[in-house]
Amino acid sequence: MKNYDLITPEGTKDLLFDESFIRREIENSIHKIFRSRGYCEFITPGLEFYDVFNHNTSYFPQENLYKLSDSKGRLIVIRPDSTIPIARAVATRLKDATLPLRIYYNQQVYRTEPALKGRSDEILQTGIELIGSQSKTADLEVISTAASALKACGSEFSLEIGNIAIFKELVSRLDVSDSKKELIRQLIETKNFPALNDLLDAIGTSSVTTALKKLPALFGGEEVFEKAKKVMPDKKISRILDELSDIYSNISQICGYDCNITVDLGLVNKTNYYTGLVIKGYLAGHGDEVLSGGRYDKLISEFGYDIPAIGFAVNVDAAAKVNAKNTENLHPRCADAIVFGTPGRETQALIVAERMRNDGEIVENALFDDINAVREYAKEKKISKIIIVGEEDGSTEAVR
Amino acid sequence: MNKPLRIALTKGRLEKDTVGLFEKLGYDCTSVHEKGRKLILPVPDGNLEVVLAKANDVITYVEHGVCDLGVVGKDTIMEMNGKFFELIDLGFGKCKFALAAKKGCDFYSGFGVKTIATKYPNVARTFFESKGMDVEIVKIEGSVELAPLLELSDGIVDIVETGTTLKENGLEVVEDICSISARFIVNTVSLKMRHEEIEELVKRIKECL
Repeated sequence: MKNYDLITPEGTKDLLFDESFIRREIENSIHKIFRSRGYCEFITPGLEFYDVFNHNTSYFPQENLYKLSDSKGRLIVIRPDSTIPIARAVATRLKDATLPLRIYYNQQVYRTEPALKGRSDEILQTGIELIGSQSKTADLEVISTAASALKACGSEFSLEIGNIAIFKELVSRLDVSDSKKELIRQLIETKNFPALNDLLDAIGTSSVTTALKKLPALFGGEEVFEKAKKVMPDKKISRILDELSDIYSNISQICGYDCNITVDLGLVNKTNYYTGLVIKGYLAGHGDEVLSGGRYDKLISEFGYDIPAIGFAVNVDAAAKVNAKNTENLHPRCADAIVFGTPGRETQALIVAERMRNDGEIVENALFDDINAVREYAKEKKISKIIIVGEEDGSTEAVR
Repeated sequence: MNKPLRIALTKGRLEKDTVGLFEKLGYDCTSVHEKGRKLILPVPDGNLEVVLAKANDVITYVEHGVCDLGVVGKDTIMEMNGKFFELIDLGFGKCKFALAAKKGCDFYSGFGVKTIATKYPNVARTFFESKGMDVEIVKIEGSVELAPLLELSDGIVDIVETGTTLKENGLEVVEDICSISARFIVNTVSLKMRHEEIEELVKRIKECL
């Protein structure tokens, strides 16, 4: 039998020193942003009952979940997402809590990815959920927090907003089967103009099909709203567009115009999960989105508590990877000094080292018997100072 | 000038057709013609960088964003799937997916589960799933036409261009599955981060088709 005792499973990896340092730095700066807006951390279990994720299987298809069974034979999944467990906890344990709730989380999620595609099965996500408000201010708070979180990732970024309700309204006016509607959604999501045009032409020509054909092309800056306005077939849909346009100009004011904020009316992913506003964030140098979120006003009601919510998640691993490529001098701080006790003075050396640490220095204890070995080690590890605790207590030598 | 847009081309016929298209747009593609063994080739006046790859790899590179753009057949897209924008049907590289079987045999008759040989197991599975038919799929790497002749399978799902190979081996098309042509694909982040450059290129290509 083959032994797999020297490697990690596919889709996982060890993060050593620099890599974990960079990731932790990003986590910390994003959490500072969350906390400064009054968000409090939430930790959900790594294991959940499969049923929690089985309400609507289109959110997380069962083939993408890590599954096992508990000691009673019940089906368990390893957390593939944090929002749904938070929705579960809010609907049960926080039913009487004062609203709105401001929650942030920072935990790994696990999904099986196709083999040999270069993707991770284990992703560290950090994000927020603002629960219990449907107001525009709530939308603006979450979008501006997303912009700040992206900024904290330290690379060129772009934040994009859209509103899935425009697509939902349009498609609801077509008299076609659900599977056709799903096909239209897929073609808009992939901006597959040729196939979308063919499909909609076959359905017929109306103001609705014209608008649907245009939808995937309606992305970019402010000019998009002008163009979109011309193709919206009726007042109800125009109103959604106006709200989005309003949010767009407000958010540009809040974040400053140097924050690259764009709009895409063709953002129609996960339509069952999101109900309105959707947010995506990109970093230059990463081929997929690093931030994703939106309004999900119906999700928590699936657990029996009908309240609106909005949130987003950042793929911290992706942000760290981009950061590691861009920054060369971001390393964990190495020790300032190493303390060596001559034979018989080892305990004293430990005391000296402790005193220095209390003054804020990073100090290692030398674990060698021979001062030359200490010198060599210090040179190798770039430690600039050796403290020798001997006859005359605490002579210092610099390492060259 | 920005760093060039990187475009992955499927080696072979699609590469030649795409280079022809670029030349019609007025780009100097000398470096691609005189590539030797090089795999990354600059097209300076278009501010493009051409990467030559196998069809499946074009999708992989574009998905990961290491290439911004790609030219690949719809056949590969259907088999591989993946996350990218499929912006233009370039119109060249035309052929079709079809189900073929031995000439004269009634493929759909009988109650036995059919065996299908194919290089495109996902395409074959989706096709038969849409018919609600259970089939056994065998993946073949080379000339798929052999499988029914050697009686490994009842039929094949494969790309058909002229039908000559089928005819010469005593096979015929039972049913067309869908038509295929070359597609211009774009990484989802590149389209947003380099919107203007890509839109300009897309506009010029569309005008030329």
